[in-house]
Amino acid sequence: MFTNLRASFFLTYKAISRGNKGTLALTILVITLAFINITFISSILSGAINTAHQQAIDNYVSNIVIEPGTDDDYIEKVSSLKRSINMLPGVTSCASRYSLGSTITYDPDKDGKDIKEISWTIKSINPEEETQVTNIHNFMADGQYLDKLDRDQVILGREVSGGYGAGLEIQSLKGARVGDEITIHFSNGVTRDYTIKGIFVTKFPLSDMAVFITEKEMESVLGLHNRASEILVRLDQPGQEELYIQRLRQIGIVDEEISPWINYIGLISGITQSFELIKGIVAFIGLLVAGVTIFILIFINTVGRRKQIGILKAIGMDERIIITSYMFQALFYAVVGIGVGLAVIRFVLLPHFISHPLPFPMGMVSLLITKKELLTSIAGLILVSLIGGLIPSWRVARENIIRAIWG
Amino acid sequence: MIEFTDLKKTYEGPVPVQALREVSLKVKRGEFIAVMGPSGAGKSTLLHLLGLLDTSTSGQIIINGIDVSKLSYYQKTAFRLKELGYVFQEYALLPELNALENVYLPSMLLGTAKKEYIEAASNLLEKVGLGERLHHLIHQLSGGEQQRVAIARSLINKPKILLADEPCANLDTQNKRIVMRLLRKLCDELNQTTIMVTHEMEEREYADRVIWLRDGIIEGEEKISQGVSS
Repeated sequence: MFTNLRASFFLTYKAISRGNKGTLALTILVITLAFINITFISSILSGAINTAHQQAIDNYVSNIVIEPGTDDDYIEKVSSLKRSINMLPGVTSCASRYSLGSTITYDPDKDGKDIKEISWTIKSINPEEETQVTNIHNFMADGQYLDKLDRDQVILGREVSGGYGAGLEIQSLKGARVGDEITIHFSNGVTRDYTIKGIFVTKFPLSDMAVFITEKEMESVLGLHNRASEILVRLDQPGQEELYIQRLRQIGIVDEEISPWINYIGLISGITQSFELIKGIVAFIGLLVAGVTIFILIFINTVGRRKQIGILKAIGMDERIIITSYMFQALFYAVVGIGVGLAVIRFVLLPHFISHPLPFPMGMVSLLITKKELLTSIAGLILVSLIGGLIPSWRVARENIIRAIWG
Repeated sequence: MIEFTDLKKTYEGPVPVQALREVSLKVKRGEFIAVMGPSGAGKSTLLHLLGLLDTSTSGQIIINGIDVSKLSYYQKTAFRLKELGYVFQEYALLPELNALENVYLPSMLLGTAKKEYIEAASNLLEKVGLGERLHHLIHQLSGGEQQRVAIARSLINKPKILLADEPCANLDTQNKRIVMRLLRKLCDELNQTTIMVTHEMEEREYADRVIWLRDGIIEGEEKISQGVSS
């Protein structure tokens, strides 16, 4: 066994070290490009998926959302509930919000002409509490974030204001700016005027479609206190939402609906699923290209050496040594190609895309290379390379000696 | 040493071809046999069967007391490696190996220690007159030199039997003489049984005995009184 491996390795080493250097470089280049293709596309899509998920947590609904039970309009006794939630180890904080349907009108020139009107859900926040569960306060593109005691102030996402690079084809106020006045006609019949205090741009469409007033103001509109339409719960560690949903149930939140953040990103979730599919297709095609390249290379090599292989067998070389030597060659191409690819990714692509992230609809996206995906790509490429080396060498090495030598 | 009895080989096909028709022969140890005959006589077929490169339709081949037709595929491979040396018409050397490496490769396959096989290969190349060309790549050698490398390779595992299939077919007159003298010398020095297929009349002079084949049967034998000096 060792003798055979030594002979295979010897043949491989000589074939590579004394073979055509141009062919060697070209083959390694193809494998490198195939590896970068698989890894880059996969990591950019992973980055996009990760950005979407992180945006949803950071700027939209935090980790867990508690909503009223099916028959209730509001969650009751919110203050004590929040205290209980905050006492759970692993919970960073929680914040309550009210939601109320409305119609927003905006008269840019204050002349009663060209009034913009959109139907929108208004949400309230406790500004201080909210900073513990979302990062919207860090994304004020213009103006200021809300203060706890603000009453006639509102902040808008850019998709509602209609400016600041808003890109979605939705209704908007078509250019409302900080300092402009809007009128909100709440669905309970209350109508109030608000000054736009700030406009935020998280670059996450679902967040940028929000309109916030303070909790104090909303309680005044609703005539309610110590209730909420939703409570957002922030966890120390992501990925433990289901565990904490159980814990929230255990502390007595049984009648309310409790859902993880993933349930709130319907549209984005569809995109991320498509990305996962694209990743799979790209990886499959990339691996196929790499495998076929090595197959063609070894095929040409073995067909061109059919006679020599026949003679090697005739002088007593076990065909398994010949096959193994070609598989070693394929392995060498794969390993070096992957090595070069890893170096290019590590020292060129990764630094570039970290400093120059790509703008995607869900935010700025950089490469995300997970160990699992990287190992899968490496293992996949090595496997297809070995198969690409095995099939042609096996076909030729198994050929009848007489036919191989004399045709 | 080598004995084949009623050896028959038929190539199947739309029109079956009987390449050998119940050929029998005994070859003594150390004997140099030249197999001659016109094209299609069955010379190469006979050598393929003796070299275990092909299987006979019927008949028996006994080499050193072993009925080789009963060996398995991998046993035949091992037998070729240990017991037989084979020289081909086209030298069939590996271009990415130098002369020394081409020669020691079969010895490496036997698991011989590196120092030993390098020494043995160097000695053999010295013996065939290529002591100064050990590290030359194959394309840097002439046809005659390449054939001598191939002969050295065939001898590296000290085979008891050397089979040569028209070893001088692609060589010029001078190189033919060098190679034939070498084969004769090795046969004498190593007491090696040599069976050589050739169609060149002058090459028969190096053999002890000539077997004449025609249409797959042994037409005659000719003893050669050794007049050619090695």
